[in-house]
Amino acid sequence: MKRRTFLKLAGMTSASVAITGCQKSNEKLIPFLVPPEDGSIAGLADYYASTCRQCPAGCGILVRISEGRAKKIEGNPMHPVNRGRLCARGQAALQQLYHPDRIRQPMKRTGPRGSGQFSNISWDEALSSFIEPLNRLRENQKTGRLALITPPLNGSLAELTGRFMDAFGSSQHLAWDLLSPEWLERGSKASYGRGVIPDYDLENTQYVLSFGADFLETHLSPVRYARDFGAMRQARPTIRGRFTYAGARMSMTAASADRWLATRPGTEGLLALGLARELLVSGRYDRQALLSAGISVQELESLLAEVHPHRITEVTGISHKAFMATASDLASIRPAVIMAGESVAWQTNGLEAVKAIQLLNLMTGSIDRTGGVFLPQAKSLKRESSFAELKDFVTRLQEERFDLALVWQSNPVYTTPPSLGLKDALNKVPFLISFATFMDDTTRQADLILPDHADLESWGDVVPDRGIRSMVIGLQQPVVKPLYDTRPFPEVMLNVARQLGEDIAAALPWESYPEMLKESIQRRVMTEESDDIATVWSRIQQQGGWFVQAAEAAPPVAQNSQLPDLSNARFRGDAQTFPLHLHVYLSPTFTDGRGAHLPWLQQLPDPLSTAVWGSWVEINPATAKSRGIRQGDLVEVSSPAGSFQLPAVIYPGIHPEVLAIPIGQGHQGYGRYADQRGVNPLQILTTEADDTHNLPAWGATRVQLRQIAKDGELVTAGHPEGSYRRDILGI
Amino acid sequence: MKRVLLVVILALMVCVPAAILILLYHLPLDTRDPSPEQPIAFSHRLHAGDYGIDCRYCHRGVEVSPVAGIPPVATCQSCHMFIASDRQEIVKLLDYAERKQPIPWVRVYDLPEHVYFPHMMHIRAELSCSKCHDDVTSMDRIRRSVSLKMGWCLGCHRENQASIDCWTCHI
Repeated sequence: MKRRTFLKLAGMTSASVAITGCQKSNEKLIPFLVPPEDGSIAGLADYYASTCRQCPAGCGILVRISEGRAKKIEGNPMHPVNRGRLCARGQAALQQLYHPDRIRQPMKRTGPRGSGQFSNISWDEALSSFIEPLNRLRENQKTGRLALITPPLNGSLAELTGRFMDAFGSSQHLAWDLLSPEWLERGSKASYGRGVIPDYDLENTQYVLSFGADFLETHLSPVRYARDFGAMRQARPTIRGRFTYAGARMSMTAASADRWLATRPGTEGLLALGLARELLVSGRYDRQALLSAGISVQELESLLAEVHPHRITEVTGISHKAFMATASDLASIRPAVIMAGESVAWQTNGLEAVKAIQLLNLMTGSIDRTGGVFLPQAKSLKRESSFAELKDFVTRLQEERFDLALVWQSNPVYTTPPSLGLKDALNKVPFLISFATFMDDTTRQADLILPDHADLESWGDVVPDRGIRSMVIGLQQPVVKPLYDTRPFPEVMLNVARQLGEDIAAALPWESYPEMLKESIQRRVMTEESDDIATVWSRIQQQGGWFVQAAEAAPPVAQNSQLPDLSNARFRGDAQTFPLHLHVYLSPTFTDGRGAHLPWLQQLPDPLSTAVWGSWVEINPATAKSRGIRQGDLVEVSSPAGSFQLPAVIYPGIHPEVLAIPIGQGHQGYGRYADQRGVNPLQILTTEADDTHNLPAWGATRVQLRQIAKDGELVTAGHPEGSYRRDILGI
Repeated sequence: MKRVLLVVILALMVCVPAAILILLYHLPLDTRDPSPEQPIAFSHRLHAGDYGIDCRYCHRGVEVSPVAGIPPVATCQSCHMFIASDRQEIVKLLDYAERKQPIPWVRVYDLPEHVYFPHMMHIRAELSCSKCHDDVTSMDRIRRSVSLKMGWCLGCHRENQASIDCWTCHI
């Protein structure tokens, strides 16, 4: 810098400091019009306990409220799922409340479908246009032509929607989302005899072997597991638990491991069988546990006869040394937890691979022991649809078997690939009503929008069914007054039931949803309580839920554990034309895309590539070099189902035959921060299913890669220009 | 010779900015009105003086909260629905209530953002309101009579043997 410039700058800085230091005019003091009813005092914050709805884990939250406005969200220390911790997605829920693109009042479609043209209407008009088609269906005895689309539900909402649909006379309730761990429940059913989501005791274990389970980011209950992982590594004076990760991509979770095994996609199951064979050969397995699971050693020997180490190294692509070291860890360290994750399950041999991985838990005797794997009681009041039901639902849509569809908090147009045909099929429904808080990909197709409250304005209950084995009912309670002219979905449904009258009103007799919620929770908890309901309810409201600290008695494992019948994974696309595998994974920041409309999350750098505000594709340096691709180049990824262009990130933590793109960006109509930003990798997936089990195989698509241009407009936190490239982002 | 010049210049580079800063602190650069006109000519003399209404009837947060608080329009309205509701200033007040608009009072006492001043601690120390706010019972329109500069704060803190650690106020 020149001396002259320096002096100029110094002069300007001191002048501006001096000028802004002076107060020019008096500020205003704006009082309340009417003081808040809760007796809050200006300048003092209130804290309310509630439950996070940003993902299905159901963490407890504490929200700080100042003068009637929500200011900050933190974890609830009393909640057994997250014990005071909270992830970035949970903290960002605040932005959902104040988002400028919220739907503020009912709207009806004015332009053609999907054009996003709506006009505001009153609630009276909106409710009558909702009730009118319902009445018509009833008069014409076509009640089965009503469809309801929600995410998987549990607790009182499952009860409410179930009663409504039953009383109305329709069985078509689709409760599916991309995070649905149907594969894990079915795997557990086959391996352990109980179709529940296993609870991994990471806190007390000595060894974790994860096959593609990104438990620190998105897998099941990430906040709980991240906390327990920290305890496993550092909370015990002389013990530091060991952790091995097997999978095609080094996720943030894999980056925290002691050893990463870069497997070829679809070969993780075989690796698990190879490890099982080494356990069997070394004799360091739990014979008693196998026996009680109904597995004989002879059976195992014949199953594992062919999986020699040299075959494993050849097929999976990992080194012999790494394989043997992992096998020796697994044989010698107890207790151990072996986890299967989404990237393993999303293959055509997914469920059998999951069973192969779960077999290791049986062999190491990890079931029902401290530091191992527990099988909780199945949760009642749960409504969840399988992938088969989803496909069946799409077929029904295509056959035009619906007259009216209701969508609540579900965005299936985004979370299913176009090859499944859901979007086009949904357009065949003559009347589509959305109960969304935000305009999203699915709501854009709607004819009528009855906007719901934001999460922080709503009542509800969450029964966590993952990452916890004790009985927990998380209470979601409104922490602020609703900002806009919105109404909660359950309230609208109760209202409509009353207006429809007769048996439907009789099935849902409650005046309001909070009343129903209270009664529903009361019914579930009062059997365990000795206090009166008023005491219990006020404690539930104060603590943000009903928690039982003692773990439920673990039931014995079934006697008829099924052994895996593993085949090779199939992939769609010719290996010559499409030489690479596409690894799609849930984004650590947006989960399945539901967080993409929040600018805090957009601005949060990806933990490994540091990319912000967009999509990118991770490419192994060797793969990139052979194609002349460098960091930040614009590349085209194409599959048999389609193609798109996005910037390249050269990433050594990925198998050379694999490209990885996170799910979460590429929305059509999800508010100003997410709309048309990045790409949705689901767009180019072919809809493959598990060979024998009808589960989705989102990882079974082959792709090709080519360079398009030098500048792909990649924006990273560590950008050489030292900024977030506002010129590109337009934010 | 050159060395002397260099030393003089360096000394000046330190002293001149320091002098400017000292000057800026003492110059009457605060252009805020110490007794601004308010949207409604509310008289503290009448309410707190003649009628002897306790300060805390309106400034409710003062004993528990960092800020004393300004009464909600509803508080004014609760009395003035019936009392003197035909007077010009009260009509203005009821107008605000009618239009559901808060009254945009003009702030008289204002501290910079880097100062944490908790009212409740000073009340707990049994300081009289008039120590800082002067005798409001004799003011029709509120007038700020103290400088609110740091030296003024410190004077009182020293006098009462309160902490003068930086972190006491600048947290």
